[in-house]
Amino acid sequence: MAKNPKTDIDENLVRKLAALMDETGLTEIEYGVDGTNIRVSRAVSHSVAAPAAAPAVAASEPVAAPITPANHPGAVKSPMVGVVYTSSDPDSPAFVQVGDTVSEGQTLVLIEAMKVFNPIAAPKAGRVVQILVESGSPVEFGEPLVILE
Amino acid sequence: MQQYQIPSLYNVIKYETIGSTNAEAARLAALGEEVAPDGTLVWALEQTEGRGRRGRNWQSPTGNLYTSLILRPEVPLGQAAQLGFVAALAVYDALGNIAPAGHQVHCKWPNDILLNEKKVAGILLESQGGGAEQPAEWLILGMGLNIDSHPQDTDFPATCLRYEGFECSLDEVLSAYTKSFLSWTNRWLDRGFEPIRKDWQWRSIGRGEEIDVRLETQTLSGVFEDIDEDGALLLNRGGKIQRITAGDVFFPGSAG
Repeated sequence: MAKNPKTDIDENLVRKLAALMDETGLTEIEYGVDGTNIRVSRAVSHSVAAPAAAPAVAASEPVAAPITPANHPGAVKSPMVGVVYTSSDPDSPAFVQVGDTVSEGQTLVLIEAMKVFNPIAAPKAGRVVQILVESGSPVEFGEPLVILE
Repeated sequence: MQQYQIPSLYNVIKYETIGSTNAEAARLAALGEEVAPDGTLVWALEQTEGRGRRGRNWQSPTGNLYTSLILRPEVPLGQAAQLGFVAALAVYDALGNIAPAGHQVHCKWPNDILLNEKKVAGILLESQGGGAEQPAEWLILGMGLNIDSHPQDTDFPATCLRYEGFECSLDEVLSAYTKSFLSWTNRWLDRGFEPIRKDWQWRSIGRGEEIDVRLETQTLSGVFEDIDEDGALLLNRGGKIQRITAGDVFFPGSAG
């Protein structure tokens, strides 16, 4: 595909910004180059240059109350008491981040109990909308860990 | 010359060298029960990427024992941790059976084995699948035991059998461990965790003493009161009992 002329929407840039927004948890990013500014925002009405990309981002916003992590249908819960880790070891990147698309069976977090390491896998394919635990913190049986949608 | 045998219930797969016995065992286990039935023992003479807790390196030159046992027990995931204590007791007894007189062997929470108060063996379990009520698809019980050499630069002091004056071969240690593991596993399957917990307690080190427990981001100090019915460590911190399921134990009063 030919490079987009300057006047066209740079789709790759918008996608990158949207991904960056997810990764950082920001609600709005503005990026300017050569006099063209692109602003990507989670609120659809604020979207200037990305009418196509914004709704997709907005649609995956966590739904407000009364749904709580515990009763959320996409909540992946701890099958055991232990300590949760979000990466395979302290120097490795996290298994998943908010915004990631995961496939069924993919490891989301790791739970250790008395030196038994149990990878917690995604029960179905989906998108990570929330990670509810901090690496190294204790978790109880049935505690929601990650929310997939 | 005496022959040391591994009980025939095991399906032994021996490697001259491998990256990690746990990783290889997991690979085999994933191929299914026909390829890797319960009791498949991956044994390597050398590991190039031996692992400990939280991705730590486990020095694995030739001369020491590196094993990973594939298990498919019918117990819920929450009870899988009990097997770590079963295995620790098995190593404890194996050392007792081959030790010359005058050595101290201890279990250190959760499942390290100390010889003369230095770490001689470590256990690392990994599971796949399972849930609160369902058993794991499989468990990998990794066990490394220092026979000929031991690392010098560990946070907790380490040792090896040779350094402590044992004269025994790799085959002898493996034979003692596999036999002892069978008898401890049967005891656990027949009678549950409670007798295992009691047996572990009186072989353990540091109970009733001040200990430090290093967690991922902090260190907790307190008195090591007991282990509970799940095997979690109960730490008394100024009268308040904290239940700990993961961490590294150190004894501030000693060299460690």
